[in-house]
Amino acid sequence: MAFPISRQKALREWKLYFFVIPSLVMVLTFSYFPAISAIYHSFFDWAGGETKQLIGLDNFKRAFGDDVLWNSFITVSVLIVFNLFKMIPSIIMAVLIHRIKSERWGYFYRAMLVVPMIVPSLVTLFIWKFFFDPNLGVLNNVLDFTGLKSLLVNIDQFFGWGVFLPDVPIGWLSQPELILPALFIWGFPWIGAVGVLIYLAGLQAIGQEVYEAAELDGVGPFKKFLYIELPLILTQVRLSLVLLIISTLQGYGLQLLLLGDSGGPGGRGMVPGLWMYNRAFIAGEFGYACSIGMILFVFILALTFINNKYVRVEK
Amino acid sequence: MSGALKDAVGSYKQRDWPKHLVVWFFILIELFPLYMMMQVSFKDNSSFIQNPWAPSPPFSVTETLRLPDGTEEVKTRVAGWSEVFGAAKPSDPELVTGATKQFDLGVYRVENWGYGLKLIGPYIANTVFVAVTGTVVSLFLAIMAAYFFARYKMPFGSVLWSAFIILMLLPGVANIVPLFSLLKSLSLLNTLWALIIVGIAGAQVFNIFVLRNFIEDLPKDLFEAAEMDGASHFQQIMNVVIPMSGPIIGTLSILAFLGKWNDFLLPLIVLRDKELFTLGVGLIYLDGEYVKQWGQIMAAYFIASIPLIVIFLFCMKLFVRGLSAGAVKG
Repeated sequence: MAFPISRQKALREWKLYFFVIPSLVMVLTFSYFPAISAIYHSFFDWAGGETKQLIGLDNFKRAFGDDVLWNSFITVSVLIVFNLFKMIPSIIMAVLIHRIKSERWGYFYRAMLVVPMIVPSLVTLFIWKFFFDPNLGVLNNVLDFTGLKSLLVNIDQFFGWGVFLPDVPIGWLSQPELILPALFIWGFPWIGAVGVLIYLAGLQAIGQEVYEAAELDGVGPFKKFLYIELPLILTQVRLSLVLLIISTLQGYGLQLLLLGDSGGPGGRGMVPGLWMYNRAFIAGEFGYACSIGMILFVFILALTFINNKYVRVEK
Repeated sequence: MSGALKDAVGSYKQRDWPKHLVVWFFILIELFPLYMMMQVSFKDNSSFIQNPWAPSPPFSVTETLRLPDGTEEVKTRVAGWSEVFGAAKPSDPELVTGATKQFDLGVYRVENWGYGLKLIGPYIANTVFVAVTGTVVSLFLAIMAAYFFARYKMPFGSVLWSAFIILMLLPGVANIVPLFSLLKSLSLLNTLWALIIVGIAGAQVFNIFVLRNFIEDLPKDLFEAAEMDGASHFQQIMNVVIPMSGPIIGTLSILAFLGKWNDFLLPLIVLRDKELFTLGVGLIYLDGEYVKQWGQIMAAYFIASIPLIVIFLFCMKLFVRGLSAGAVKG
């Protein structure tokens, strides 16, 4: 802990305040001021310039009647469900690496997991965009090669979706119905090196006697996972779950780059953050964008609050 | 961990190889984008379309074509893998009159890398400038502020502390719109300084939080000894705090550098001139080109990864530790 300091000595050490002032000024200007300005301007009709007009709660009224915004909330909920599902491979991977007997292989696998991280995330994103390319892309080629394409076409004809057609390359990012499936497939096999490393750290805390006892009781591999390993990493899983939900809710970079600023064909990939971006920088409705930001802000703040109250992270 | 101990983790009856198989399967898919990037970067568009998956074989085929109007034309193309071990197959049976196959290293388009560097080099230079300046300044300011909080319980210290810590809980999602107009009124739009300054401000809270805990754990005797010798607070920072907190500063720098390297949202909004583009916007700009030379673009992507590879090679340990710390915070 920091030293307690007497009032006289503190007066003599007044120069110490200069150490904190630069950081404070930075934070006040670039974090607090924009936040307060967002609250303030959400009550204005404002195009980003000098002129603005106070319109009270009209922006919020408009937001509550805005179908695009509500649909974007539905989309983002679907994405959150997808992302929850996408957490599973990392957990499986961590458990598998943990259970491998050879220590050398375990280390090798860990290192191999980190290797893809040297690719900047934006490059990964564009490579995936290229994978989705209808003619040259990897995904369509794999589907053609394995015959899954004809299966999809058959299923399609059975249900009459009209999405997968024979002899027409699948436009993953250009057919409205396929936007959400494409966002689901995105990033396959959904292994986050960071997540795996954190889970592994948790798993390492399990003592061998626990495994030996389980062995004596004749516990199978799946039950071992359920009763020994999962409880041990539950803290980490819960933490990454909360962070994942919050980051999905406020993120829109992926959608912006993959689908463009209007959320792709039919606006199927529109998420609240992207709609805020779109209103501000495409339509020039800065005031309305601020009020969308405020609505999103309240949602996330509520989640953070619930998280701090109910999801305790034991150290 | 000893081998015997590790043995108890898996079942005695259970075999190991199915696990290896599954892990390999996942890892190979994970590495696939990297492989594609590498092999496509040596191809031109035609050989890429002809053979998208495997690297080109080091052979080329020279074909003589008799065009319908009677003229002859000689064309060279990259050989397919099936032609390497057998005879050259004419690409168009009706027109080709003769085809010869020869060993040719020229099928690897090394010049793609030159083009790639030309495409992306300026963006990398801008990004390095932004990332290095931003990281150094933001860490320096954070160390000073953390020293303020860690050294003494100054009056109003706790008020100031909560002013910083509250920001960790507040989502910054609504900030981007007012931030844009703020930068506009500071006439920082379309400058790299906007990125640097906003980056410095954004990094303060987390860095101060981590550094305060670290500095408080340093032995107090060191500070007292330095004070006895007449060192000012600034000298104490330079001679005690910074030398003692090398690892944590390294970790925080890597995290900050990675963040800058991957950032694209703010640059996308702030930057207009092509000369000022950072890596993020530069890559988006490349992606928007109508006719894409995939080989050059993939080479450019690879070049964009090189600085991270260098960091990765030299500080793998810090990298992994830093990532874990960063993930806990988010």
